[in-house]
Amino acid sequence: MKSRQQQKDILFSVLVFCGSFAVNLLIQKIFTTQTLVPMIFVFGVFLISLKTHGYCCGIVSAIVSVFAVNFAFTYPYYAFDFFVEESIFSAVIMLIIAISTSTLNIRIREQEMLRVREQEKLRSESEKERMRGNLLRAISHDLRTPLTSIYGSTSTLISKYDALSKTQQLKLLGEIQEDSEWLIRMVENLLSVTRIDDAKAAIVKTPTVLDELIDSVLMKFSKKHPDQKVITDIPDDFVDIPMDSILIEQVLLNLLENAVFHAKGMTELRLSVSLADNKAIFEVADNGCGIPAEALDRIFTGSFAGAAAPVDGTRSNMGIGLSVCAAIIKAHGGEITAENRMGGGAVFRFSLERECDDEQ
Amino acid sequence: MSNNKYKILIVEDEANIRSFIKANLETSDYQVICAETCTLGIMMYASHHPDLIILDLGLPDRDGLDLIRQVRESDTTPIIVLSARSNERDKVEALDLGANDYITKPFGTEELLARIRAVLRSRRQGTENEGKPSGKYRLQDLLIDYDKRQVFIGKDEIDLTQTEYNILACLSVHAGKVLTYAAIIRAVWGYSDYGSVKKLQVNMKNIRKKMGVTPGEKRYIVNELGVGYRMLEDDL
Repeated sequence: MKSRQQQKDILFSVLVFCGSFAVNLLIQKIFTTQTLVPMIFVFGVFLISLKTHGYCCGIVSAIVSVFAVNFAFTYPYYAFDFFVEESIFSAVIMLIIAISTSTLNIRIREQEMLRVREQEKLRSESEKERMRGNLLRAISHDLRTPLTSIYGSTSTLISKYDALSKTQQLKLLGEIQEDSEWLIRMVENLLSVTRIDDAKAAIVKTPTVLDELIDSVLMKFSKKHPDQKVITDIPDDFVDIPMDSILIEQVLLNLLENAVFHAKGMTELRLSVSLADNKAIFEVADNGCGIPAEALDRIFTGSFAGAAAPVDGTRSNMGIGLSVCAAIIKAHGGEITAENRMGGGAVFRFSLERECDDEQ
Repeated sequence: MSNNKYKILIVEDEANIRSFIKANLETSDYQVICAETCTLGIMMYASHHPDLIILDLGLPDRDGLDLIRQVRESDTTPIIVLSARSNERDKVEALDLGANDYITKPFGTEELLARIRAVLRSRRQGTENEGKPSGKYRLQDLLIDYDKRQVFIGKDEIDLTQTEYNILACLSVHAGKVLTYAAIIRAVWGYSDYGSVKKLQVNMKNIRKKMGVTPGEKRYIVNELGVGYRMLEDDL
């Protein structure tokens, strides 16, 4: 990109220089005067310094212009004569103009760049702020329930220890464990969000082997849901993809769990990865009940959790889980989509850049 | 009788976590001593000579890594690190400093007990001492014959390249323990350069393919993403 800009600059300089030369020749023909010659060349140098990047083009065009004036427009015509004090003087002036214009120009450009960058930062920050707000709302709503239940169960256990039968005690303890597991999942999602915030500019991507990622995800998934089979369909070749593996792992886990919790009537859960021009496309598909149409467009915003909180008491951290997915994929420079499948069920899809670096 | 029990030192600042680990270990027939700070931990270590240390990295007074450094100056007492989920770098650093294993918070007690058993067993068997392994290694239907440099699954011999065999042997010698990418590379190639990790990963993929392992099956070797690999142990 840099060299293309340089080429453009050089082309522009040459054009302007030739232009001013031609204008001078024309003026000389028509008005037979030479008083305008230095002015027009100064103007040319000024233009070049203004429009090109850096000092180089301006300075070179100043020197060349001095030569041109000396060569073509002062006596002896069409020959160099460097003993004319004038020409040294005009060279100095041209150089000063070229350098000071370029300096000004560079400074303005720098400031502009700073401003643009600042604006971008502000914009991304306010976006992050909004996302965090959504999450916080969804979470504080969802945290209270398991905490209430844990607190209640433990208080009961402590105060009524002797009155409760062993089965009752175990039941309460089992519920406490269930609730804490749910809290752990939630906190893990929150951690993922802070991890995105921590890495100020961008997340740190390391090449991760696809097989190992999928293996790790399935391992964790089957630990939590030992009865749910996952059909996998991934490329046979060695594929490594730059990513923050902990975060992408979280995304895949969330998507799989989301299917387990919400795809009612699911008999088949499929995790597939395909490669297409420098991209790896991840898909989590189920054949359950699908996503209600009115939820489809809000599903990743985190506002869904509160709105559609299930009445039957089964808690869902779907809203939070999915909005965390969206945030993670966004931080990776991708996008996540959800849609209903033709034959029933839902499919979640996201892609990651592969940008295979071939230096190895 | 109680003199025969393994003595385990827990260095952890959170009282509740300490207490549930302690309760669990004591009912599993270990003798437990506790320390709340790194300094105290080092003192307890020096005076009690525990058989194993469970160390939380986030301690109030000093970095838990200091304790690993100090212990490793003189001794090979196994250390299991408790760490937060999101810090692979901490994990790798702890392992490279000489910690034997790590376990990510929040963890289940079964998981912790299994790690403790694995670390204590490999210490008992003296597999920690470097050098050429000899004899045989068995895991599920996998058999490694170190003397003949052959690997079998069931009755079938698996045809591995030199490098692949060396990686597998290295992992199996330290079975149950996470080996960082750097540690494996050092052991197999002796040096490391820019492409080393990728080279290792490609070899690993080939090893798995030859052994017929597909992702999601818990067989032989576990991935610790961003950290390294762990060969499973037969839970006897």
